[in-house]
Amino acid sequence: MYKKILAAVNEFSNSEIASRYAITLAKSSHAKLYLVFVAEEKIEKDKLRHAEAALERLFLEARNTGVDVESITECGEPVSKIKKLVKEHDIDIVFAATRREDVKKRFFVKTLSRQLMVKLPCSVAMVRVVKMAGIHPKHILVPLRGHLTDIEERAYFVATLAEGSGAGITLFHLHKPITSFINGEMHLKPVQRDEYVPKDVEKFREHLNKYKIPHEKKTGTGSIARAITLEAAHRKNDLIVMGASERSLLSSIVKGNPVETVLRETPCNLIIFRGRKS
Amino acid sequence: MNIHNLSKDTVLKNLVTSDKGLSETEAAKRLHEYGLNEIKEVRKKSLFHRFIAQFTHFLAILLWLAAGLCLLSEYLHPGEGLVSLGIAIFGVILINAVFTFVQEYRAEKAIEALKKLLPFNVKLSRDGSTKEICAENVVPGDLVFLGEGDKVPADARLIESNYLMVNNAPLTGESDTRPRSHEAFEGDYFESPNIVFAGTHVVSGSGRAVAFATGMSTEFGKIAHLTSGVQERLSPLQKEIIKVTKIIAVIALTTGIFFFVLGTFIGRSFWHNLLFAIGITIANVPEGLLPTVTLSLAMGSQRMAKKNALIKTLTSVETLGSVTVICTDKTGTLTQNKMEVQEIWTLSDSDALRIPSPLRGEGKGGGEAWSGISPSPSSPPVKGGESYNMLMQAASLCNNAVYDNGKYKGDPTEAAILKAAREAIGDMKAERIHEIPFDSERKRMTTVYKWEVGSGKWEVKEKDLLTSTSHFLLPTSYFSFTKGALETVLPLCTDILRDNEVKAISEDDNNSLMHTYHSMMDEGLRVIAFAYKEIGDIEHRIQNTDNPPLPPFSKGGMGGFDIESDLVFLGLMGLEDPPRPEVPDAIEKCHSAGIKIIMITGDASRTAVAIAKQIGLVKNNPVVIEGHEINVMSDSDLRGKLLSDEIIFARMTPVHKMRIVTILEDEGERVAVTGDGVNDAPALKKANIGIAMGLTGTDVAREAADIVLLDDNFASIVNAIEEGRGIFENIRKFITYIFASNIPEAVPYIAYVIFNIPLPLTIMQILAVDLGTDMFPALALGAEKPARGAMRQPPRSPEEKLLNFKILGRAYLFLGPIEALAGLSGFFYVLHSGGWQWGTMLPSHEVLYMQATTACLAGIIVSQIGNVFACRSFKDSIFRLGFFSNKLVILGTAAEIILSALIIYHPWGNRIFGTAPLRADVWLLLIPFSIGLLLAEELRKYYARRYSNA
Repeated sequence: MYKKILAAVNEFSNSEIASRYAITLAKSSHAKLYLVFVAEEKIEKDKLRHAEAALERLFLEARNTGVDVESITECGEPVSKIKKLVKEHDIDIVFAATRREDVKKRFFVKTLSRQLMVKLPCSVAMVRVVKMAGIHPKHILVPLRGHLTDIEERAYFVATLAEGSGAGITLFHLHKPITSFINGEMHLKPVQRDEYVPKDVEKFREHLNKYKIPHEKKTGTGSIARAITLEAAHRKNDLIVMGASERSLLSSIVKGNPVETVLRETPCNLIIFRGRKS
Repeated sequence: MNIHNLSKDTVLKNLVTSDKGLSETEAAKRLHEYGLNEIKEVRKKSLFHRFIAQFTHFLAILLWLAAGLCLLSEYLHPGEGLVSLGIAIFGVILINAVFTFVQEYRAEKAIEALKKLLPFNVKLSRDGSTKEICAENVVPGDLVFLGEGDKVPADARLIESNYLMVNNAPLTGESDTRPRSHEAFEGDYFESPNIVFAGTHVVSGSGRAVAFATGMSTEFGKIAHLTSGVQERLSPLQKEIIKVTKIIAVIALTTGIFFFVLGTFIGRSFWHNLLFAIGITIANVPEGLLPTVTLSLAMGSQRMAKKNALIKTLTSVETLGSVTVICTDKTGTLTQNKMEVQEIWTLSDSDALRIPSPLRGEGKGGGEAWSGISPSPSSPPVKGGESYNMLMQAASLCNNAVYDNGKYKGDPTEAAILKAAREAIGDMKAERIHEIPFDSERKRMTTVYKWEVGSGKWEVKEKDLLTSTSHFLLPTSYFSFTKGALETVLPLCTDILRDNEVKAISEDDNNSLMHTYHSMMDEGLRVIAFAYKEIGDIEHRIQNTDNPPLPPFSKGGMGGFDIESDLVFLGLMGLEDPPRPEVPDAIEKCHSAGIKIIMITGDASRTAVAIAKQIGLVKNNPVVIEGHEINVMSDSDLRGKLLSDEIIFARMTPVHKMRIVTILEDEGERVAVTGDGVNDAPALKKANIGIAMGLTGTDVAREAADIVLLDDNFASIVNAIEEGRGIFENIRKFITYIFASNIPEAVPYIAYVIFNIPLPLTIMQILAVDLGTDMFPALALGAEKPARGAMRQPPRSPEEKLLNFKILGRAYLFLGPIEALAGLSGFFYVLHSGGWQWGTMLPSHEVLYMQATTACLAGIIVSQIGNVFACRSFKDSIFRLGFFSNKLVILGTAAEIILSALIIYHPWGNRIFGTAPLRADVWLLLIPFSIGLLLAEELRKYYARRYSNA
């Protein structure tokens, strides 16, 4: 499915870690990898040196693992340059790292991460790096909501990443609580919760089965973001792959935004995936 | 490939660092990217939010509404005294909020305790030079120096190690040291010896490590994450109180609306009807319920504290009573954590010795094959041969416990072994020249001794045993002694000592050995194997080689020479941690109370099963799951196993506890779990009831728990459960009592509107009952002892409501109408005796009216005195319970009478509540209502008993 993958590299170490996931995916899907550094105008020499060194290390690493890799350095405004490269090379998916200061901002307003997510005409994997080790995850947690977009592509992304890392997958669905006025929230046992698992989740599983990727299905209850981070911490997951938020700004202000909360509180590295069609 | 699989160079490359460490610039950049290396509370609610939450729960909202309606009513119809009621309700909300807030605030310090386990300063390499910085500034890629006594600041990969030993207790829960090495490791990440984890402690040696995870991304951070991130749930009681509140709200509002509509049909004015609707709604709100529940729980927690269970969150008092499963540790909780050597086996002419113990009950099996039983535990065991003596010497010398001032100090197992050896052969002194300490991976330790005849360095006091052993007749000898688990010691042995003869281990010897080993395990004994080896002048040999000088510790060797091979097997010691004597009864109580007990222990499965059988925890063949099995088990498989009646988890680490607790709770069980280690904290937080050990528990466990067990004793948990079971019933009792008085408060108001009579009971008088006279007897009902059969019934079903139709019907349809009759009888009696004519309205300050309302109030109070005795049990007769068996009820009633007397006869009481003194004849009219109510209840209880028996 993926023929061309682009990894955005900069002077920060987390972009290097994020790019390693791109290398894993490129190797597993036999795709060509473009390592791209876009230097902003008037960039400090030190930053330039760090970024170019990272680019070189990643290039060698990708080449040593047998990946067809190309290194590109551009100068200008990062989002527009990357967008241009995506169009030029017909890129399927872009990997970029979120920065801690992006995560601190509410709703990612005016962050590079948000702009890449919104403006790029391809799939985007936004990586939040909180741990430098564990480059090849062993246990990937995939939280799934009721209505999924890009089911096939997302399943392919997760399956290919898992295959490349030799990781196991846990699909995690949180069902909406059933409540009544007098009794409040009803407790449902896992077997009962399974009856409420949406069709989209089952479809996702069917796709994973197609790729013969072993996986476990789990259901949970409670606040979405907290349940995801607790599950990740409890079961020693070393990577979370979840879909990008589809909540509007207003809805996020009123009801909160679980994706934003998980980004802020994740105990392991996290990939926010936005499919091409979304 | 992951960090532990990589070579040093690849590690440095992957973490984008070098042998000189990070540059200061890069470190600053990484600090900006990854944040401070600190433990944080995930989504900590501010104190302000926690305080505000006490004012916004459902019952508080209902009270706010009632208080608001009081103020509205006062505004629309001044002079009824509703403003006082409104203010009083505000006071109730405030006092209760402050009381509960203070209780909860005390319980939230687990993360603070976790933070203390991280170091303050750390030595590292930056820009090629060594620096000491604040540990919170450590970033991924930093090269950290580790030395003896240091705390590890972050999860790090070793790149250099020099006999490094690390204690992983905060993460594994096992207080043993593990050797660490910088070599690449192919196995599991968590078992990798080249990884050191934040919060662990360097016991000895030194090393350099590259940090790869800091702060909340470390494994230690995950414990903090799980501990602080566990979603706060309502306790079963809180849920029930909310349900009760909703029911009350529905009843109050429905009644108010009903009478508003009725009044409209009768033709009363809108404002008149509105005021009436507000009045009837307020009368239905039990203002005293919230403080009574809170105080009752506080009293319950005091009683539990006397039974060695210190309650940290008030609602835990009741939750404990509803538990269906207890997941308990073994050592120290079910057993005494006092190891004793029970059996000794050596291959000698007398074959074996057994030391009987007073703690070992009759018919516990084992020992039939043994001979040479010593006459009493106080006398030294009978010498069983030379191999026996040599075993005792090994036990004494391969040991780090000490005998000091009449006490054995050190690890309980080692202390027990030393005690057995001392009692057998006396004190031994020799020069220890080397030690390979015990660690949980090797499961053995080895010591090396130098012995010189006549030098005085090797002294055997009391008994001259060594000289009788031919092996020790050389002028200078070096011996190594090894002790540990049989599976790790036996493979190192080629020979066995049978009296004076060292011979190769035959198949028969091996069979005999294994048979004995299994027999001991089946008796619940922890089995330790011993071996020795004469190693010649190793010091001289080391000096003549190019090997480095003697290191303090090494892994299986000494100065390049292997000292843990070709050993001579000596024998076995079977140690027992005796069960606490009160535990079997406590377990029996749990069984009859329908509470499932799951033992979670680090011990071997055979030992665990044997102990479980001894204490009556299991009777048949239980399902036994070991740590390595649970690791590969899916949740659904584990769920299936947990359905078994008898289940034991052996060779477990605390990390498994949370998974077990989560699955049990998912299945609808109410789970109590015990714990003492740092990494028990998440499970303690996750469980419905987390029980920390007060004596052996860490600060983190104590802070994360709901209950702290002051004596670490399982029996105390069971006693506290019994107390907790009583609490739910007691809350029902005083709910019945409080709700019963709502009817005589509401009926006069209805009569006032419908029959056009003076208002028989003023709002202030309602307040006098709800927040005055009713309070003390209600609290006394909250202190009722648990019913005799409380622990012979299954745990309360989650479906069982605090307020069901039986309770509501009894209060509203049976007790309440009798009390209303008493109140109105008093009211009309006084009015008629004062010459009142039907339909005449009286001014509120007229004495006749004040006396009449006082009589109504007195009627309610008097009948509530009968009611408090009636409410002590739903079915049992008060004559069976005894009038004086709950002294607090007597005191509460006395307080009620004194308060009534003040309200009725004291001028201040008269002024505040609009009352007037009553004549004796009014009391003579009212008292029979109290007795009548009690007798009517006795009749109802009689039929209730008959019905339930049938």
